[in-house]
Amino acid sequence: MKDDSVKHPQAAAEFLKDRAQAKWHDSAIWWVRQKRDAQAKQLPEWEELRRLAREIKAHTLSQLDDYLAQFEANAQNNGVTVHWAADADEHNRIVHGILAARQVKKLVKSKSMLTEECGLNPYLEQRGIEVVDTDLGERIVQLRHEAPSHIVMPAIHLKKEQISELFHKELGTEAGNNDPTYLTHAARANLREHFLTADAGLTGVNFAIAETGGVVVCTNEGNADLGTSLPPIHIASMGLEKIIPRLEHLGVFTRLLARSAIGSPVTTYTSHFHQARPGGEMHIVIVDNGRSDILGNEDFYQSLRCIRCGACMNTCPVYRRSSGFSYSYIIPGPIGSTLGPSRDMKKHGSMAFACSTCGSCSNVCPVKINLHEQLVLHRKKAFEQNLLPAGKKMGLLAMRFLTQHPALFDLGGKVMRKVVPIIPESLTRHSAWSRAGRDLPPMPAQSFKELYQQRSQDKQDKEGQQ
Amino acid sequence: MSARDTILARIRQNRPAATALPDIHAVPFIRYDDQFAAFATLIRNLGGDAVQLPDGQSVADVVAARWPDAGRTVDLTVPQHEEVDDPHAWHDVDVAIVPGQLAVAENATVWVSHPDNRFRSIYFLTQKLVLVVPREAMVDTMRDAYARIQLAEHGFGAFISGSSRTADIEQSLVMGAHGAMAALVIFV
Repeated sequence: MKDDSVKHPQAAAEFLKDRAQAKWHDSAIWWVRQKRDAQAKQLPEWEELRRLAREIKAHTLSQLDDYLAQFEANAQNNGVTVHWAADADEHNRIVHGILAARQVKKLVKSKSMLTEECGLNPYLEQRGIEVVDTDLGERIVQLRHEAPSHIVMPAIHLKKEQISELFHKELGTEAGNNDPTYLTHAARANLREHFLTADAGLTGVNFAIAETGGVVVCTNEGNADLGTSLPPIHIASMGLEKIIPRLEHLGVFTRLLARSAIGSPVTTYTSHFHQARPGGEMHIVIVDNGRSDILGNEDFYQSLRCIRCGACMNTCPVYRRSSGFSYSYIIPGPIGSTLGPSRDMKKHGSMAFACSTCGSCSNVCPVKINLHEQLVLHRKKAFEQNLLPAGKKMGLLAMRFLTQHPALFDLGGKVMRKVVPIIPESLTRHSAWSRAGRDLPPMPAQSFKELYQQRSQDKQDKEGQQ
Repeated sequence: MSARDTILARIRQNRPAATALPDIHAVPFIRYDDQFAAFATLIRNLGGDAVQLPDGQSVADVVAARWPDAGRTVDLTVPQHEEVDDPHAWHDVDVAIVPGQLAVAENATVWVSHPDNRFRSIYFLTQKLVLVVPREAMVDTMRDAYARIQLAEHGFGAFISGSSRTADIEQSLVMGAHGAMAALVIFV
């Protein structure tokens, strides 16, 4: 389970203690960002695709109740049972109710951040149902009793040596065999047994099509397909923002999702589920859990356009250098840092500050969510609700005072440019700047304002001469 | 009030101002001069291979040449194909030969939704997946594909590209996560 009491700065400092691991984490995730860029550049229409995706989602949110009702009616016509859950607890009760009524002992699950959000696994386990996560990365973190550290690459915080050790203990693989192919195929053999003996399968939902009443699930591993084609019961849990109006709109979203997420042209399997397999039954649970509240918030409702590709965290300089476990909300990175505080500012407020406001997240987002702007707005809320640590609050108040008094600001700058170069190193060694192994930067001779005035003057003089 | 009605009422109250649905067909998308070449180049990086059926050879010939020691082989492309009563019964299939209705050049996927198949588990349990696609059934992008596909198989259909794969261990790409370990697309 996710430790939702962590505060980003402290947790990130802890993560950065292992410099080699932190460096690896940063470069492994940056590599995925680069693969995403390579894919995007192959399509001349990439920016147009982002615009279309944004507009389709924006339109859908503006008529979400109508599309949900249409989706429900069409799903019911297909013979699917549709359930509605106002919150996490209701979702868990519905899923357990379906399973308990059919004496299900083992449930195989494919990736679903929603069920992580709802805490479904412990809920079912406490009631005697074995839950097997089947995505390789999710299985790894499940066996380690951890939460995923990334929404698409759940085990990206781990090295192969750690996974080898875990599999040796849990699956009986050879000690010290760290070969990813060997380890993956060992998990394959083990999970095949689970697929073949499961009583029910649960999947998340990437897209729910109002026009056809079906859901689309994208995986590379094929675990969602095995988990739904073998057992007689398929439950699909979806956040209510997953709706798209028409089947043809997948012609936009399936082109963006895998390219943005992992830098692949598509996932191996893009599966469209409209009915259970013969002899089976299919259920869809539509979950609100705070989403309809976010919809009503002018500043933050755009976050509901998210298709959970993870591109924003792959590009985020803070995420790459702090890992998913430094974030208190189950979804880390930029998108999590707006969804978390929207849900519970007191608990997740620190996430909004885990941001350099560089805006890279907004620039890669396939549905063009204004992520970095939302984080700034959350900071404002955190300040107004008096949730900042005293030191940070004092710093901000001092800064506010200074920026409101330009003369004082100028004087402060002057003093700093003179004083910093003569401070003995022993006094600055423990500053936040120097602790990370950096020298203090050389102080410029002039302030920006002075430089700007100088240049304007020079330009005027030059024009005067002509 | 039921959860459903409460949720829908709250959405109605909170939903943002109406915006228009864009026309996704108004934007020009990429075109490929040689669709087969684009498809075949791409699928090699996705744990698969693509060939055009040579004159005078059958699909079975091509499959036999590729995997001479194949175990249980099931061919769904023939009219009187083998059928089972339980989806688990496909668990030991080594090679499954299945009809694909459409291929997409931009991402090397094949649309699979076979009106004459009972249990879709065969596509995912088989060790090696052979997709047989008519040569003329090729489109450039997913937009073209969605204009043509049909959900013909018990409400199910999937785009499949190459082998099942994962990079969940240190970003190392491994073929054969849960589904097929190898994939072959034969254009006929």
